[in-house]
Amino acid sequence: MKKFFKQVVLAVALVSASAASIAEETVRVGMSGSYFPFTFKKQDVLQGFEVDLWKEIGKRNGYNVEFVTSNFSGLFGLLESGRIDTISNQITMTEARKAKYLFSAPYVIDGAQVVTRKGSDIKGPQDLSGKVVAVNLGSNYESLLRGLPNSDQIKIKTYDTGIEQELMLGRIDAFVMDRISSAQLIKEHRLPFAHAGEIFEKIENAWPLLNNAQGKALKAELDSTLEAMRKDGTLAAISNKWFDTDITAQ
Amino acid sequence: MGFDVSYFLEIIPILLGYLGLTMKMASLGLVIALTLATAMAIVRVFKVPVLDWIVQVVISFFRGTPLLVQLFLLYYGLPQVFPVLVGIDAFTAAVIGLSLHFSAYMAETIRAAILGIDRSQMEAALSIGQSPAMAMRRIILPQAARIALPSLMNQFIDMIKSTSLAFTLGVVELMATAQMEASSSFRFFESFLAVALIYWVVVVLFTQLQLYLEAKLSKAYQR
Repeated sequence: MKKFFKQVVLAVALVSASAASIAEETVRVGMSGSYFPFTFKKQDVLQGFEVDLWKEIGKRNGYNVEFVTSNFSGLFGLLESGRIDTISNQITMTEARKAKYLFSAPYVIDGAQVVTRKGSDIKGPQDLSGKVVAVNLGSNYESLLRGLPNSDQIKIKTYDTGIEQELMLGRIDAFVMDRISSAQLIKEHRLPFAHAGEIFEKIENAWPLLNNAQGKALKAELDSTLEAMRKDGTLAAISNKWFDTDITAQ
Repeated sequence: MGFDVSYFLEIIPILLGYLGLTMKMASLGLVIALTLATAMAIVRVFKVPVLDWIVQVVISFFRGTPLLVQLFLLYYGLPQVFPVLVGIDAFTAAVIGLSLHFSAYMAETIRAAILGIDRSQMEAALSIGQSPAMAMRRIILPQAARIALPSLMNQFIDMIKSTSLAFTLGVVELMATAQMEASSSFRFFESFLAVALIYWVVVVLFTQLQLYLEAKLSKAYQR
């Protein structure tokens, strides 16, 4: 009898637990898992600025946030084929992307930064003529570089991974990355790199969503959550945790 | 930045945690690829009308295009045209992609092995009343397997290593983990050397298996 009672309790617990998880909306967030300190793995644990943001968003809206890691070049394919709901990987709102996707309100304001080895004669984008400059495959820095007045003299190389390594080895003269993460990278790992000049293009990063009813509903929820997190200081706090500065300030 | 031995030793167990997934992909891929390849080889050997032509096109396509392109077509391309295919998860898509790709190579290996068995073997089997199908199963394929084994193992080894492309579809396997860990530690050499050694050891183990199987299959030929 006692055993039977136990089984009933267990069954009830199981049923109610699964009912609760059904009520919870699952949001699948795609990220590369290899963009320090936004999204990366350490000791097999996925973490970073983006991960913290989504944990907070999930908590506030009662989402079950599911992180999907993929090579950067696969992320938009995952979104396009409906396998994830959004990409949280510092996706810049470009005109071309805005034409195709719905974007949440921007949560990071940044700029494109030329990074060189310390002591390099490159002092800014104007000095890139005749130099080999690397960008990450699938990122929009290539088109930003092509928009520079001296763009036809810049040799652009695209990489899937490891541009820091390439600069360290001297196979490239500079790379273009966003200011924030490159600053973080140099600081954290004492890399012998320096920022060359000012940022040459203001960029706003947001979460792209599919332009359909589901995307619109998610956008509305994300925008209001983001606004609330901005107001109560949570957004700035998460930023300060990773960057010692507020990269979300408008 | 010298070689960080402690990081190197630390990352190996983390990477090994993903070896199971890599091997699951490769072994499922092998089973499906071998089945498909044997079927395609038999179609080619018997020159089955229409099917033979289809198989030739399939082999030509899967040998003629890069595996990465095939994976992208399968996982990102096709679902845009056939929305039902969105239901295929990344792991399944990777296994299907690997199977189709390597079955094309294996089909040619098996076909060559079958053709390498002397005609008289088939004739003798038919003369004692076996059907062509039975002769194939009992007489020809067992002999062809011995000839095909080294090449098939070659292709299986290639398949194990090709699973490293699956991260482009979002499968977090061995190589993906090495890449993600390296992105936060900046210990590229240590991470990639560790992952290279793991692949190498696995391949060495399978090479040993090949030697064992070769010895076993050639028992009847020893004097």
